[in-house]
Amino acid sequence: MADVSLKNVGKTYESASTNTIEDLNLDIHSGEFVVLVGPSGCGKSTTLRMIAGLEELSDGQIWIGGRRVDEREPRERDIAMVFQNYALYPHMTVAQNMSFGLRLAGMDKAEIRRRVEDAAQVLDISALLERRPKQLSGGQRQRVAMGRAMVRDPAVFLFDEPLSNLDAKLRGQMRAEIRRLHKRLSATTIYVTHDQIEAMTLADRVVVLNKGRIEQQGTPQELYERPATRFVAGFIGSPTMNFLPATVMRTDAGVSLQIGDVAIPVPTARAEALRRHVGKGIEIGIRPEHFLADGAAAFITTVDMAELLGPTTLVHFTLAGVACSAMLPPELAVREGGEQALRVALDRISLFDPDTGRAL
Amino acid sequence: MKSTPLRRGLFVALVIVLILCCFLAPYAWIVASSFKNQLTLFNDVTPLSWKAFFPVGGTFENYRTLFERTNVLTALLNTAIVSGGQVALTLLLCAMAAYSLTRIKFPGARIVFVLILLTFLLPIEAMMVPLYQVVSGLGLSNTLAGVMIPWIASPFGLFLLKQAFEELPVELEDAARIDGAGHVRIFFSIVLPNVKVPMLTLGLITFLFSWNSFLWPLVIVQDPANQVIQVAIAQQGSPTQLPNWGETFAGATVATLPLILLFLALQKYFTQGMTTSGIKG
Ligand SMILES: Nc1ncnc2c1ncn2[C@@H]1O[C@H](COP(=O)(O)OP(=O)(O)OP(=O)(O)O)[C@@H](O)[C@H]1O
Ligand SMILES: [Mg+2]
Repeated sequence: MADVSLKNVGKTYESASTNTIEDLNLDIHSGEFVVLVGPSGCGKSTTLRMIAGLEELSDGQIWIGGRRVDEREPRERDIAMVFQNYALYPHMTVAQNMSFGLRLAGMDKAEIRRRVEDAAQVLDISALLERRPKQLSGGQRQRVAMGRAMVRDPAVFLFDEPLSNLDAKLRGQMRAEIRRLHKRLSATTIYVTHDQIEAMTLADRVVVLNKGRIEQQGTPQELYERPATRFVAGFIGSPTMNFLPATVMRTDAGVSLQIGDVAIPVPTARAEALRRHVGKGIEIGIRPEHFLADGAAAFITTVDMAELLGPTTLVHFTLAGVACSAMLPPELAVREGGEQALRVALDRISLFDPDTGRAL
Repeated sequence: MKSTPLRRGLFVALVIVLILCCFLAPYAWIVASSFKNQLTLFNDVTPLSWKAFFPVGGTFENYRTLFERTNVLTALLNTAIVSGGQVALTLLLCAMAAYSLTRIKFPGARIVFVLILLTFLLPIEAMMVPLYQVVSGLGLSNTLAGVMIPWIASPFGLFLLKQAFEELPVELEDAARIDGAGHVRIFFSIVLPNVKVPMLTLGLITFLFSWNSFLWPLVIVQDPANQVIQVAIAQQGSPTQLPNWGETFAGATVATLPLILLFLALQKYFTQGMTTSGIKG
């Protein structure tokens, strides 16, 4: 177990014109499960590979367990890494794959055996130890890759999109498995994914990256409920948040938001922040589950499409010219083309400055 | 009459046999003729009769003279040493060069590769004289080392292996680095075991090239005791006489036999390598 700390880390690839990573600062506590998320190309893998020592830093420092490691070889960093395509050695058996690093380190044969067998037991791959990677299913390869990381008993586990090659069902299973393993080993874990569901379900802390910078970090719940920027609000949550343009209006009671021809009063707690914006346009973010159909109608809309998902019905409609979606209870029996009265859970909405994208 | 699967099968078989005959005829003629004396040999081809392709009325006379009066055994041994050495050194050198050019980032890697490939464009004949000067300058003329050494840095081999190395996922090496392996360890323990087929292909092609080489050994070796097989066969008769073709053919047969045995043993890998590397023989 060890702390991991990135200080002013920067990375510029020779062939690239811009900085891939810029002035990244991140402190990860011992035993913490941190997930780096962000869209494709935002620099997640680059960051992870710099921590692993597979990529050199252009700037800054990396510390692991109180030692500065950015000039050190990967093997001196006390880390293990699981790759997206597993990177199992094709010519070695599962047991040889798992023990390669230990053999290089000159570990005692009996100890190697013990570790490999223990890890295989935990991962339920004991029966596969003499097979080659070619003779394994995707899920089994994934387990072997994790086993190879586990036997080294590293201070820090690094995962780069380890589940993205698995089908949806297996992904769910392995997610639970990784969570269970982390509880058991309680090693510091840094996990890269572009799948926000993985981020939400696995992380103690989620770090959202955008264009090589940290957009926001916090617990999954914090990010979901209080996104700091429009980018985070749009990235976290599925189906995605609805974004509507609105004008801030002063009323007798305080402040209200005008969305098309619908006026929504703002709760007093939020009104203070909006006073400066009276008369100006802002952007409202409403999650699909924060449209309510409980009788107290704020507006009536026509249903464009209704998707029955089982536990909820995803209702698509147009508000102020913007395509929106709402998650409604299935017993509502919404009809396509029918009318539907909706209101907004006012205390749950997010408000963004349209120029900076920052939350108000 | 309807065409049944059996009929069609027979037809296909017949065509294949015909094609095979066309390919094999010259070899059959060489082998058959190696058992004949000069007179029978010419009688069988003027006019051409089926006898030309079968050792009818043959003797082992040519082979006896070959083994008793010429140094063909020494030449075979020399060739085996040269070809074996050339294969081993070519594989080692080309694999290491391909590894560094594909996997180690250094400035100018592309230029180095292009320059090496450019040498591929020079015909062997054009390099004979400068090569002769270099090799004899090294004091290696008239030696077996001198026969093989100019060819072990093979641009073709580098090219072939570079393609194969590039297909190997980089993550394998990343994983190995995290496991604590350095370049040398990665090269021998991770990369080489996963490029066996291209290595074998290159080995076979090199062996073939080396075994059959004629011009360069002719130039660089004068001492018959250090001569290789192809040159030895060509030089067996005395320059003032008409060649005894039967003896020449016996020599050719002896020289080809090891190659045929090798190919039969390894043909599975060889055809595989041919098709995967997109190279035609
Ligand atoms: N070796 C390299 N040379 C030049 N540019 C690179 C190199 N590797 C990555 N990049 C660039 O750096 C940026 C970040 O790449 P990175 O692989 O870290 O993205 P990512 O967040 O992992 O994306 P993904 O979700 O698609 O894996 C990209 O714009 C990419 O094109
Ligand atoms: Mg990536």
